[in-house]
Amino acid sequence: MIVSQEHIQDFLPHRPPFLMIDGLLAVTAERFESVFEITEHNVLVSDGEFKESGIIENIAQTCAASFGYLDREQEGEPKIGFIGAISRVQVHALPALSCRINTIVEPTHRLGNIVMVSGKSYLNGNLLLECEMKIVISE
Amino acid sequence: MYAKDVKMNLEEVIEETRDFLSEEFEVDRDLILPENSLKETLDLDSLDYVDLVVLIEENLNIKITGEDFKGIETFGDFYGLVQKKLAL
Repeated sequence: MIVSQEHIQDFLPHRPPFLMIDGLLAVTAERFESVFEITEHNVLVSDGEFKESGIIENIAQTCAASFGYLDREQEGEPKIGFIGAISRVQVHALPALSCRINTIVEPTHRLGNIVMVSGKSYLNGNLLLECEMKIVISE
Repeated sequence: MYAKDVKMNLEEVIEETRDFLSEEFEVDRDLILPENSLKETLDLDSLDYVDLVVLIEENLNIKITGEDFKGIETFGDFYGLVQKKLAL
């Protein structure tokens, strides 16, 4: 793991109880990978499942932390990003409590300060949710 | 039949472009004319420009950057950019 749970808050502005990422496993300009364990106190858990909104937020925070990591690598301060749009959402399954999900995000297009990414979350290699997002990065 | 599959002439590229733009942005194909504003006709906001870039890449197999859009006001300007990128 390149960024552990104790350091993840250095790379994104989110804080508990709305922190939906535990750590970063790998980050390159082309691919980001994070890990997150679903706990019973998570505010986006309902009926024993981590809901779609939670997984989408996890994908967004994987972007935020990874862009922050890349900014730090270039000796800059992490910039703030916002979700501009979410599209092509497909939900295949929802993870239960205590599950540990992996999320992979790949930036596909960039136009100025807007980055389009493809995000996929997995549980034990099985696809849970996929979507596209446009992230607007504050200049 | 897209430019990425078979070499098309400019007229064919324009017709193809009118087809996918009218379908994706739900605009009357007859409004996509060289003299009309790209931004106003397609009702583009800054996020939509990313969709436009993706569409162009998928349909014409060319990459457009933010710099490329500088000076692009009308569909005519846009076709000129596509022509340049495709080296037609």
